[in-house]
Amino acid sequence: MADFLGAYSIQSWLESAPQGYLVGTEYGHAPGEREPEFVLENPVLRAAAIRTTVQLVVGERCALAASSGLINCAPDEASKRFLATQTIDEARHVEIFTQRLFDLGVRKSELEDLLKSQANPHLVRFAQVLLDKVERKDFVAGVVGQNVILEGMAFHVFELMHAGNQSLNPKFAHTLSGTIADERRHVGFGENRIGSLIREHPDKKPEVQRMQRDMSGHMLATFAASFRDGLAEREEVERVQRAAAARGVAEKPATWQGADLQALEPAELEKLLGETVLREFKVRLGRIGLEYQTPPGP
Amino acid sequence: MTSPGRSQEPHRLEPEEFFEEVHSFEFWFQAVTGYLTGRPYGHRPETAAPAADPRERERLLTVLSSYCVGETAALEGASGLVAIAPNRQAKIFLSTQAVDEGRHLEVLLHRMRELGCARPEEEVERRASQTLFTFKRRLLDLVASRDWEAAIFAQNVILEAMEFVVFQTHARQADPVTREVLEGIVRDERRHIGFGENELGRRLREAPHARARLAQVRRELDPLVLASFEETLAEVGTPRAERPELGRNYLAAVARLGFT
Repeated sequence: MADFLGAYSIQSWLESAPQGYLVGTEYGHAPGEREPEFVLENPVLRAAAIRTTVQLVVGERCALAASSGLINCAPDEASKRFLATQTIDEARHVEIFTQRLFDLGVRKSELEDLLKSQANPHLVRFAQVLLDKVERKDFVAGVVGQNVILEGMAFHVFELMHAGNQSLNPKFAHTLSGTIADERRHVGFGENRIGSLIREHPDKKPEVQRMQRDMSGHMLATFAASFRDGLAEREEVERVQRAAAARGVAEKPATWQGADLQALEPAELEKLLGETVLREFKVRLGRIGLEYQTPPGP
Repeated sequence: MTSPGRSQEPHRLEPEEFFEEVHSFEFWFQAVTGYLTGRPYGHRPETAAPAADPRERERLLTVLSSYCVGETAALEGASGLVAIAPNRQAKIFLSTQAVDEGRHLEVLLHRMRELGCARPEEEVERRASQTLFTFKRRLLDLVASRDWEAAIFAQNVILEAMEFVVFQTHARQADPVTREVLEGIVRDERRHIGFGENELGRRLREAPHARARLAQVRRELDPLVLASFEETLAEVGTPRAERPELGRNYLAAVARLGFT
């Protein structure tokens, strides 16, 4: 265990993140990059960007509360130190996504009310399931919920958003690329550290699997609501793309998981995202000795 | 990372913007980048320490063990405080503090390994000051009780001032490697003390009655701090006549922060 945890030291984190892929960035993107005019000037797209970013802030606030809360119940010092790096990563994510809301024109005085009014209720319940475990100082369930389920979901959501924004909104795509690199590290820790703990505490399996089932259910409901809410945005994006094409501005095709994102209907995108995340859950849970539990249908 | 334009001179900012700025991850990175770059595990690779004689090495390992307990207390305290911090900016600042404290623990354990200690975690359990374990328990009780003012006072004023004074004193007489490690830690502690002073100063202006509660916390913790000084200084080899000065320096540091 000591050898594997060596790869998750603060020194490794310093060299890979602040002294690595974050060098030369400002709030996660290149200095001077701005939200594109077509987002800032189009009420539908601006509102959609705000609504999406609110969910990111809510998710990251949950991750910050969970990773900092897990430090005090970690069974060894190396895990505590890794979780300290995860805590600051999550704090950075809260900061850069909050900054995006300000860049989109949200006033600082409006922030908390905006988060309350626009947070997806399923995402809030997803967070509550996890934070209940952290509150009870349940390290095994907390790390599975945080580093396998939450981070696994975030990783794919960020990748999908990154693919969709690379050409349309390079600033946001750059912001996302640093968070994707962070999430990859967090998922790796969860998988590596928890396998041995599950073997030591097989009695924990049913409870942890129940938590996974509940969190997966809330996650899928969050995806469904988000894609349903995004129909007007989709039409506006297509209009912007047609106008750009008419001006002769060719856009690079956005692909993710082998699919052409522009060719997919919102329901197909939702299905692709849900299936990708769940497939990954099954693989990762299997590696740590847990069996994926299918959530009840809507 | 590059600094946002407005960060060039934070003291010129309006109070609200200053608060946002100095509690941010971006500000933290600007602060640490100079003294952490090129110093893996807290010191320059080319810095060398002469071989210590066995008795000095033993003493240093014991002192570093106690420091590890202090830093573990600080790591667990800072991370616990994230949950009860009253606003986003304080949560983000405390996250930067948690990683600072984790780094301190890591560089101290690494220094123990450099001194030939194969299992530093076990040595910490065996050698560290019992007084500091008591302090740690008390601090974490305050955090668990969700008493924001008392917990911030114990963590970012008492514990940080104690470490600041001890590490600064020890660095002056330490071998070159230990000195660089301690000097890097002291630079972080300054930032943490600044946060505690700022946060409590504002809170006490709004709720002066909290001062009596903090005085009670201090009456309880000061004897533990002073006893741990005595133990540490004896191990470091500070002459008995000079030891009270450290206690006075600590008391003066806390008084300067407005907590008499």
